[in-house]
Amino acid sequence: MQRKVALKITTTLCTKNGCLDAGTIERVQSLAFLIPQAFVANTQRSLHWFLRLRSSSIFQVCVMSKAVVDVPPKGGFSFDLCRRNEMLSKKGVQTPPFRKTGTTIVGLVFQDGVILGADTRATEGPIVCDKNCEKIHYMAPNIYCCGAGTAADTEAVTDMVSSQLQLHRYHTGRESRVVTALTLLKSHLFSYQGYVQAALVLGGVDCTGPHLHTIYPHGSTDTLPFATMGSGSLAAMAVFESKYHEGLTREEGINLVSEAICSGIFNDLGSGSNVDVCVITKGHKEYLRNHQLPNPRTYVSAKGYSFPKPIEVLLTKVTPLKEKVEVIEGGDAMEE
Amino acid sequence: MGDSQYSFSLTTFSPSGKLVQIEHALTAVGSGQTSLGIKAANGVVIATEKKLPSILVDEASVQKIQVLTPNIGVVYSGMGPDSRVLVRKSRKQAEQYHRLYKESIPVTQLVRETAAVMQEFTQSGSGRPMLGWLQTILDFNGNCGVRPFGVSLLVAGFDDNGPQLYQVDPSGSYFSWKASAMGKNVSNAKTFLEKRYTDDMELDDAVHTAILTLKEGYMHLKLLFF
Repeated sequence: MQRKVALKITTTLCTKNGCLDAGTIERVQSLAFLIPQAFVANTQRSLHWFLRLRSSSIFQVCVMSKAVVDVPPKGGFSFDLCRRNEMLSKKGVQTPPFRKTGTTIVGLVFQDGVILGADTRATEGPIVCDKNCEKIHYMAPNIYCCGAGTAADTEAVTDMVSSQLQLHRYHTGRESRVVTALTLLKSHLFSYQGYVQAALVLGGVDCTGPHLHTIYPHGSTDTLPFATMGSGSLAAMAVFESKYHEGLTREEGINLVSEAICSGIFNDLGSGSNVDVCVITKGHKEYLRNHQLPNPRTYVSAKGYSFPKPIEVLLTKVTPLKEKVEVIEGGDAMEE
Repeated sequence: MGDSQYSFSLTTFSPSGKLVQIEHALTAVGSGQTSLGIKAANGVVIATEKKLPSILVDEASVQKIQVLTPNIGVVYSGMGPDSRVLVRKSRKQAEQYHRLYKESIPVTQLVRETAAVMQEFTQSGSGRPMLGWLQTILDFNGNCGVRPFGVSLLVAGFDDNGPQLYQVDPSGSYFSWKASAMGKNVSNAKTFLEKRYTDDMELDDAVHTAILTLKEGYMHLKLLFF
């Protein structure tokens, strides 16, 4: 019987007397498919082919079947479906839209630390899918990260790096540094070559002082005193460029951040709803969720609602459904 | 004794049905510094003696009691380097659990996973993918260079089920204790604990009892309580 096996024939062939050289191995490999006289003995993890060749010496070939051996999975994306996707798009089939945070996210450094701000709208193409989502993610007790781009990517990446930072804190016994988070994020994003679409504004205060960074999906980073990202970044940057100066107080900083986010909310379609602010100082952080609600929703109709009088109950009748299962008491025990 | 012929191979049972290497590992634990744990009504205490080889050793750099999660800690008796490996793996497992379920890992789960790691190392293979098929045909003493861990751990934690104390042995078996001791002088310590232990002990009482137990002949102490 000739068995079809997806092959990666290992190069360790042994005869009774010793190992073969490469040339003989090639010959045996090519012949392994042709000779029908090979009979197969099934062992635990591999198929042993006992081949009888022209030279009439018996070779024992260990053949690895992909189906049988556990191959450790390779990391990274698998690009198997790329060709199929290309073919589909040529035929006019559109890829389904994914949830993005067309966004305004900002950060600035003030005299005591860092302030981060974000809007709260999440969009799926032209549809607002979340009117009050959280875009400021926790990384460490002293580090927070705003995320723009694909919502799943930003959440997964910040979650993963937050876990890594926690382990690092256990091992070193020290507070995490912002540059550590920065480096972990950028090396992850770079290794995925921009396919992980997460544009981040990372800010925090550690033993070396306050830090603010931006991280682009391809893995490049900037270190800045004030930064904006997302589809509303230009609107927000306009506000920062005209009003930012060094040595802002906490109140001034929060007001400036709120103004910049509002500018993004009102002038950019991809941003909207409310303003989230996070203030990080040495040893203390304040997460001001929904600090401003410039887009309140009015539910009440001006005329008011009138409800008809409740209907009286005239008759109550309960009809129990028949039980499908009949329980027979004292039946025989189940026979094997 | 027939056992001695089988005492070097980890992966061979002796005629009396024991894995002699694990017995030896327990001996290694028994010659380590004493450590003990006491479960109180509202918390758990674990304590150990921090005995340094000389006065020149920087005391602050020696950490025998480690934190695994904000509500679980561990102390060991036996070989320090082995415990470091286990602590590292346990921390990672706790963190992975948290990422997956977004809740802090219950004490029993963490103990179970740590015990599973220790058991792995008592069977040849320790999960290392060493040349797949080669492993199946190469199994004389070729246990890929693994040996059992030479530590017993006392894991103390506080979760939804209240305060808990577990002991994990080199074989991978784990037990829940109200109070336990390991290492040198273990029989004296256990007798002392048996006499002193009450079910409704307060945490402060438990700390006091732990100190007294260790105090029988020891100088330095390191305490951690939850």
